[in-house]
Amino acid sequence: MPLTLALATIFVGALLARPIAMRLAPHGGWVLAIVPAALFILFASLGAGLEGDSALVETTRWVPSLGVSLVLRLDGFSLLFCLLITGIGTLVTVYAGAYFAEKPREKGANFLALILLFTGAMLGTVLSDNLIVLYVFWELTSLVSFLLIGFDSHQTSARKAALQSLVVTAGGGLCLFGGILLIGIALDTFALSEIASRGTELTASPLAPAILVLVCLGAFTKSAQVPFHFWLPNAMQAPTPASAYLHSATMVKLGVYLLARMDTAFASMPAFGTTLVVFGTATLLVAGLRAMMQSGYKAILAQSTVGSLGLLVLLIGLDGELAATATVAFILAHALYKAALFFCAGTAIHATGLTQVTQMGGLARALPFTATAAFLAAISMAGLPPTLGFIAKELVFEAQLADAASVALIALAVIGNAAFVTIALLASVTPFTGQAVAPRPLRHAETPGLIFGPLVLAVSAFVFGLAPWLVAERLVAPATSALVGAPVALSFSLWHGLTPMLALSAVAVALGFGLFLAWPRMHRRLGANETLARILGDAGYNFMFDGLLRIAGATTRVLQNGDQRRYTATVVGATLAIVLAGLAIDWPGLAFDIDSEALRPAPLVVLALMCVGAIAAIVTRSLLGSVIAVGIVGFGSALIFLLNGAPDLALTQFSVEVLVVVILTALLVRLPVRALRTRSGSERGVDAVLAASFGVIVFAALAAMTAAPLDLRLTEFFASASYPEAFGRNVVNVILVDFRAIDTLGEIAVVSFAAMGVWGLLRRRTSPKRAA
Amino acid sequence: MNSLVLSTFARMFFWLMIAVSIFILYRGHNEPGGGFVGGLVAAAGFAILALARGVKAARGTMRIHPVVLMGTGLCLALVSGLPGLVTDVSFLTHWWLHAGDFHTGTALVFDVGVYCAVLGGVFAMLLRFYEEEAP
Repeated sequence: MPLTLALATIFVGALLARPIAMRLAPHGGWVLAIVPAALFILFASLGAGLEGDSALVETTRWVPSLGVSLVLRLDGFSLLFCLLITGIGTLVTVYAGAYFAEKPREKGANFLALILLFTGAMLGTVLSDNLIVLYVFWELTSLVSFLLIGFDSHQTSARKAALQSLVVTAGGGLCLFGGILLIGIALDTFALSEIASRGTELTASPLAPAILVLVCLGAFTKSAQVPFHFWLPNAMQAPTPASAYLHSATMVKLGVYLLARMDTAFASMPAFGTTLVVFGTATLLVAGLRAMMQSGYKAILAQSTVGSLGLLVLLIGLDGELAATATVAFILAHALYKAALFFCAGTAIHATGLTQVTQMGGLARALPFTATAAFLAAISMAGLPPTLGFIAKELVFEAQLADAASVALIALAVIGNAAFVTIALLASVTPFTGQAVAPRPLRHAETPGLIFGPLVLAVSAFVFGLAPWLVAERLVAPATSALVGAPVALSFSLWHGLTPMLALSAVAVALGFGLFLAWPRMHRRLGANETLARILGDAGYNFMFDGLLRIAGATTRVLQNGDQRRYTATVVGATLAIVLAGLAIDWPGLAFDIDSEALRPAPLVVLALMCVGAIAAIVTRSLLGSVIAVGIVGFGSALIFLLNGAPDLALTQFSVEVLVVVILTALLVRLPVRALRTRSGSERGVDAVLAASFGVIVFAALAAMTAAPLDLRLTEFFASASYPEAFGRNVVNVILVDFRAIDTLGEIAVVSFAAMGVWGLLRRRTSPKRAA
Repeated sequence: MNSLVLSTFARMFFWLMIAVSIFILYRGHNEPGGGFVGGLVAAAGFAILALARGVKAARGTMRIHPVVLMGTGLCLALVSGLPGLVTDVSFLTHWWLHAGDFHTGTALVFDVGVYCAVLGGVFAMLLRFYEEEAP
């Protein structure tokens, strides 16, 4: 049970993280990092046991009646993600501990707990083989992301960005859920491994286009593809450790993960590949352009993350083994260098209190280790040898050339890569070298916790570049074969000889340097163009969101206008319309059961009394009088229940009537004894017509209902099963507390929530005068 | 409301209604009654107390906060379903004790939960209505 235990461990760790971190601050990060680190070792050893495209599967029963089991499956591709999640998770935990060292204890502790919770959710998503389980964990990551983006909840911008990311990713999640359900209908299974092998069956189904659109919507929103690219840069409101972890290295790659998983299933559907290529390319270009317009350190990195995600989506859209290898290599390389750069950005921002790269300069003297890590990571990002980034980029170009993609596509990819080079230079050269722009004392110096993470990541990008065999056979090959569905032989090395890819790389690097030199001027020109910023930004989202709020405001003004009479009229009118429509539909075969011989004197007397009460309630001007008159009608109906063999109902009705009279009496004490005439004659006329027709229609509906033969099966079942199975002779109560106890639980919960609402809303405001 | 008759009889009425409500709660499984009605009757008892002797006296008689009572009731109802989850993997399948013709089980705990939730909830709302007029 290693996988299930691993999941349980991380969630228990998340639960205990806060008290532990509170006690051990400021060293909580180092201690809590033991949990993800241990899991990293566990996954590494489990991964070493995987052969070819084999997988480790564990099944726990969960909801057998719905065909949902907790199936955890570790194959090469999951392994890659598990190692990234736990490995970077360890470093993030250490870094976050140091990052929050000078903040209030509970802030750091809360943050660490959320980070561990997120680690668990991520692991759950990439380990689930059942799509429903995957969806549950998927939404959990969105939720934790919401909490982390809005972590500085006192800032309006943080709250707004958090809400935006939740609306986009959870909305996309709902689409994904629809897609999952349709897959379940089409194939009668939710098992990811089975779906991958039944691709032809899936694409032959008439539901295939809908599934394609819904799954793509889910993946595109999560991975910030055009036109949902805007939420990710705004998510940079999160504390930097969260940005490094969620919004660059792991969570945003979930969409890519899902698309890669579905790639084999949709292999025989060309529209899938085309869609991915189109949207991926668009994302890459938009992000590259927007990166040139930014000057915030984290903002630039965020745009490059969006671009990288676009590149990954594009790669999945291409066919063949090579594209799969390139995808895997780029996921790995990007996670290493981007998390490292975010860490460096966080340290620089933390130390200077500034956020723009243009404001920074010469930080290498004050932050030497951070600067080293930033330069190493930037070399990998720029795709220069001898780094993992170089190998990955060569593979990307090779995959694009092999796919015989059009010249335009290759040109666009080169431009995209040139943008990465520029961004790498902006993130390392600009802030850390040259003249110190703001020569003031640093607010925070480097601490071991702040430099551990970036250095480990940046150095490993070099180590894996120089010794690619470390990851080739154990990590990249299994992950690729898991995607392709067959064992693969890959050429994963630093030097391939003089190839077309090398030439493309050279072009991209040269172009990138050129862009970097032109950046100050270009950035000023582009940054000033507000229309462009709006179009490429979240103008569409804002338009839709504001429109929704306006519609909500308008409907509220019409429907919730504060006039109790209008509410009642609306409810009665609507009910009337629905019942009338129902009667009209059934009209031809409608029979009425009115048997005058069955009339008994006792109910008739009670009914007559009720009529008197009802008329009195209308006629009387005294509010107290009308309360009592309405009470007569209520008690009368209780009597009717009693006379017709429903003592339980009668008892409840009596109690409710007593309470209503007591409550209303308490309220009426504060009102004038006589009601003021506030209704005009015509209004009263409308009221009368509504009330009278309501009475007539309910009478007609009841008469029609009793004419139809009653289905007594349930009644008979409960009557016969009540005593033998639930040891009670009162069938009504047995149904309430036993057969349908969960309904009752829901009902008392509703009563409680309503009472809590009243308790909160009607709180008496003690005026300051009286308090003093 | 300052009525001598009402305030004199209120305490008697109150205890009578509480006794009746508990009786209704207990007999519910075999005769008309149950936790819901019992809770309503008890709430009416407290309402009369509040009407006659004021909100303070009624709250003092209840001793614990009505919202807390409500929460306790919800928790009781929830907890009564857990044993069934353990033995039958079915939430709210009740456990039973048998002594000849006498049967009792977690269903009673559930009903007590309903009683408390209804009493606490209704009384909490009542208090809010009354409190505004209270001095």
